[in-house]
Amino acid sequence: MLALKLFPHLFAFFGVALLMLRAFPGRRRLIVCSVAAGFAAGGLGTLFLILNVPGKFPFDLIRGVLGASFFLFWGVAVAALYRSSERVVAGVSKPLPRPLIPMLSAVVGGGLAGAVAATRLSGIDSLLVPVLLLAGGGILMAAGAWWGELWLPASITVSRPGLFAAVVSLLLFSASSILRLDLFSPLSMKVMKGTHDFVHQFMESVLIPDHIFVRPKIWGYIGLLFSKEVGFWGGMIIWFTPVLLVALAIRLELLPSVAHIRQGAQRRKLLAAAIREKRLRLVVPAVALFFFGCAAYRSSFPTVEYWDPKPLPVVASPSGEIFIPRKGEVELEDGKLHKYLFKKGTQEVRFFVMVSPATGKLTVDLDACAICKPDGYGQAEGSVICYYCKTLIPLETVGMPGGCNPVPVKFIEKEDGAHIDAVTLVNSWTGTVQSTAKKEAAK
Amino acid sequence: MKRLLAALWRAISSRALLPLVLGFFLLAYIVIAFFTDEALITLIALTGKNFLLAGVLALIPLNCLCRIVLEARRGLARRRALKNAQPLPDPALYDESVELSSAAPAGDLEQRLTDAGYRTWKNGELLSAWRGVSLWPVRLLFLAGLLCLFGGILISVTSRQVSRQPMIEGVPFQAPSGQGGFIQRIVLRNADGPILLKELLMEVSGSEQGGSFRTFGVYPPALFGGAFVYPRYLGIALTYRFTAPDLPAGFQDNGVFPIYPPGREAQLPLGGAPYKVHLTLAKSQDGSDPYMTGSMEFVAKVVKGNDQLFTGTVKGGGELVRDGIKLAIIDARRMVVTDFVVDYGVLSIWLAGFLFTLGACLWLPVRLFLPRREMVFSWEGGGVLARSRAEGSARRHTGVFHEVLDVIAAEHA
Amino acid sequence: MAIIETKGLTKGYGDICALKPLDLSVPEGEWLSVMGHSGSGKSTLMNMMGGLDRPTGGSLTVNGQDLLSLTEDGLARFRREFVGIIFQQHHLVPYLSALENVMLSQYFHSVPDEAEAKLALERVGLGHRLKNRPGELSGGEQQRVCIARAIINSPKLLLGDEPTGNLDHKSTMMVLELLRELREEDRFTVVLVTHNQEVAAWGDRTIYLDDGVLVREERVRN
Repeated sequence: MLALKLFPHLFAFFGVALLMLRAFPGRRRLIVCSVAAGFAAGGLGTLFLILNVPGKFPFDLIRGVLGASFFLFWGVAVAALYRSSERVVAGVSKPLPRPLIPMLSAVVGGGLAGAVAATRLSGIDSLLVPVLLLAGGGILMAAGAWWGELWLPASITVSRPGLFAAVVSLLLFSASSILRLDLFSPLSMKVMKGTHDFVHQFMESVLIPDHIFVRPKIWGYIGLLFSKEVGFWGGMIIWFTPVLLVALAIRLELLPSVAHIRQGAQRRKLLAAAIREKRLRLVVPAVALFFFGCAAYRSSFPTVEYWDPKPLPVVASPSGEIFIPRKGEVELEDGKLHKYLFKKGTQEVRFFVMVSPATGKLTVDLDACAICKPDGYGQAEGSVICYYCKTLIPLETVGMPGGCNPVPVKFIEKEDGAHIDAVTLVNSWTGTVQSTAKKEAAK
Repeated sequence: MKRLLAALWRAISSRALLPLVLGFFLLAYIVIAFFTDEALITLIALTGKNFLLAGVLALIPLNCLCRIVLEARRGLARRRALKNAQPLPDPALYDESVELSSAAPAGDLEQRLTDAGYRTWKNGELLSAWRGVSLWPVRLLFLAGLLCLFGGILISVTSRQVSRQPMIEGVPFQAPSGQGGFIQRIVLRNADGPILLKELLMEVSGSEQGGSFRTFGVYPPALFGGAFVYPRYLGIALTYRFTAPDLPAGFQDNGVFPIYPPGREAQLPLGGAPYKVHLTLAKSQDGSDPYMTGSMEFVAKVVKGNDQLFTGTVKGGGELVRDGIKLAIIDARRMVVTDFVVDYGVLSIWLAGFLFTLGACLWLPVRLFLPRREMVFSWEGGGVLARSRAEGSARRHTGVFHEVLDVIAAEHA
Repeated sequence: MAIIETKGLTKGYGDICALKPLDLSVPEGEWLSVMGHSGSGKSTLMNMMGGLDRPTGGSLTVNGQDLLSLTEDGLARFRREFVGIIFQQHHLVPYLSALENVMLSQYFHSVPDEAEAKLALERVGLGHRLKNRPGELSGGEQQRVCIARAIINSPKLLLGDEPTGNLDHKSTMMVLELLRELREEDRFTVVLVTHNQEVAAWGDRTIYLDDGVLVREERVRN
């Protein structure tokens, strides 16, 4: 089972090693050693962090590095597009990079692949077998890349931006199967918020009139920019654009000048060879596009099963207090969230109670956030997930307000359990749901 | 010093500067987003206040200006090169540049080029041919658009001042500049434009008695005393009186309430009385808009403590009396919450929008149907220097260029 | 230096031996005429020289390449880059113009170039018939389109299989004159299969095949 879970990560490492070998020809031994050493160092370093720094820091660190590499990839893609209009002088081959650059690239690529793979081992009690499995798999994949590269057609070449694209796509693909490393869903959330802010700011900046003056149809188009779909599609654009820019840069590259050749057939032959070479260089970005797609898909449709208990109905006492006992039918201190349903007239309020791993105290929160539709939360792998926008909220931050966190509710914690004021709870729910409903209506 | 200046010019006019600065601000946005949910507003505020950040942003319009100068010079040099053999243009201005041995221009080259659809110019040792329309002016237009856009953003971010005040029908107002006037009438009426559903007119005179008369609409916003008049929300200005058995002295006040469109609720302040009055503008029976007609009726919900006492309707100028409680709406007038925005960057951003639209309208047909193609041949010292460039249909143009070169080479042989 | 070198070259179809062991050397730039009556093996020889057919024995080297050792892809590349062929039947695509027929050959070689194709048709005297389809051209003109198509990729070896077989005397002379001019300008080697003595006389050398055997060889004195 663990071997199956490790497979996408090992496959990503295999891809990284294969690409490095193809991108830096003539340095096969150096590359394969560097990439394997990087994988080992990244994996061991991550395990060390996970074992010694509890909490979400190791995950945040790796996710931050992945995010930075994606940001850097954007820069590389834009630079590639800018440089695409420069003419490559025919017959002048690029000098082979000094060994430091291939070595560093291989170490960093392999290291990140190893780091992502090692996070899969978090939460496992006995690490010996999994570590051996990962190490063995890594060696096998490096060896496989060594032999596999020899079988790749010689005509498939890797440009530097193409290499960047493919390595980043494989790393993100690898990370997408680990909820706490996933980048696409949080990116979509940020895009939704960013777009909302930007459109609002832009409309105010250029003094565009309020919606009451504008035809509903026109406002409907503007409203599209405030919808949740903007987060998804905007995220898709940001996700896929750099790799498309790399492909476009290759497509737009000027063909070599052949004006100095005085035989038409030879000119055409050179041009045809250049066109063919350009087309083959698109293979790697196309592969990268595929893996970016896989990562986005896995992020949008994660295969993780969430802990999502059926809400237990509760009632308020005549004094208007809802009491959730610490022990009884439900053990509040089992580390899981427990959902409850409170009804007042036609009004239904869903909330959950759990022990916060950050404080060790109880926290009472609405089963809704201040941004999205109240689709509720599920719990998995050290976090809760907003079902609506797929944002992961680390368990340590549950109980804190802001963003897509569940909205915390004021309550009194006593030895016997949580005492919640029913009016406060209902007002909190009504205020939250009304505010998110307005956002929905604005669409 | 000269080298330093040249390096500075290269840096400031570099094509890479704009994406670099945008990347910097994107990075800043991402970093800020780690700390606050209001990342964009924070970034705008920081850029407005921080000299360094504003300086980085100012690099973009500066870069656009330098590129306009640079690309204008290049374009002019290319134009000059079509009819003047000297000075020799920079080979970087062309896609292809080649030197061949050739004694003198052959007679039928011009004809060959004309047959291929090119216009030609021959003057002594220079033969040039061109067809199509150059996209160079459109490129300048695009750069000018970028200059206006980012210049406008810079001005807006660093100097925008907004002052909000309610404009009430029949009440004088004063703009932040000190200039004032008297709101004679506020008119809201249906519009038949493709974008605007309703038209809002604020008729303003110099004083209550009359004087200079102006009308402010919704869009485009007019300038008043150096500030744009930007109507934001509609509401009602009310003068009201509330009395109750346990509040015999009553409470009278006036205020502005954002209760338009009908259904939006506001609470009337009652000076600490144990009562709450929630007021909404009622929908008209005939479906007309009460703000447009001026015939306003309000739904009042009176609450004491946590108990709702009653709900009733009251017309502007009328009273609602129930169980000894009396709510009188003494006066109800149309009101527009208006921002007076001092921001000349807006003009620049509008201009940028116009320039981009114009540029796009010109670019597309020219690029598709009339792309510019040029070639220049100049003979000197037993050789010919040939240069060529194409903004579109490059393969066919290159074919013609190579063909001419082949003919020149064959004749020399 | 020889562009074509054969040693004991044979070709058989089952029990039938179309070409018996043949030793032949064709110097670069030569115009070689191959004569013989029907079934003598002259077309078989030409097909093998052009990489259209594989020998069953011996060796065949063209432009330094051992054709027997080439794969199918290698043979296709060889045909594309080194050989131009003109047949008795013109094999032009009927629904394409003369210009497009020439550009089609460019397409299979590398990339089409209209200006260059036009120039090639101008060289064969068809600058005014660019847009005409084969059906609108005379036999001589069609064969000139074939010549333009054959020379457009600058072959080192031009093979002709009865290229004038369907032409009247005047057109035959025009085509042969054109081939001579082009050969002088482009310096390619010509191997022309014919059974017409007058046509063969345009070459530098004539070999005679009979029942797959080289029976006679004579140098033509122009």
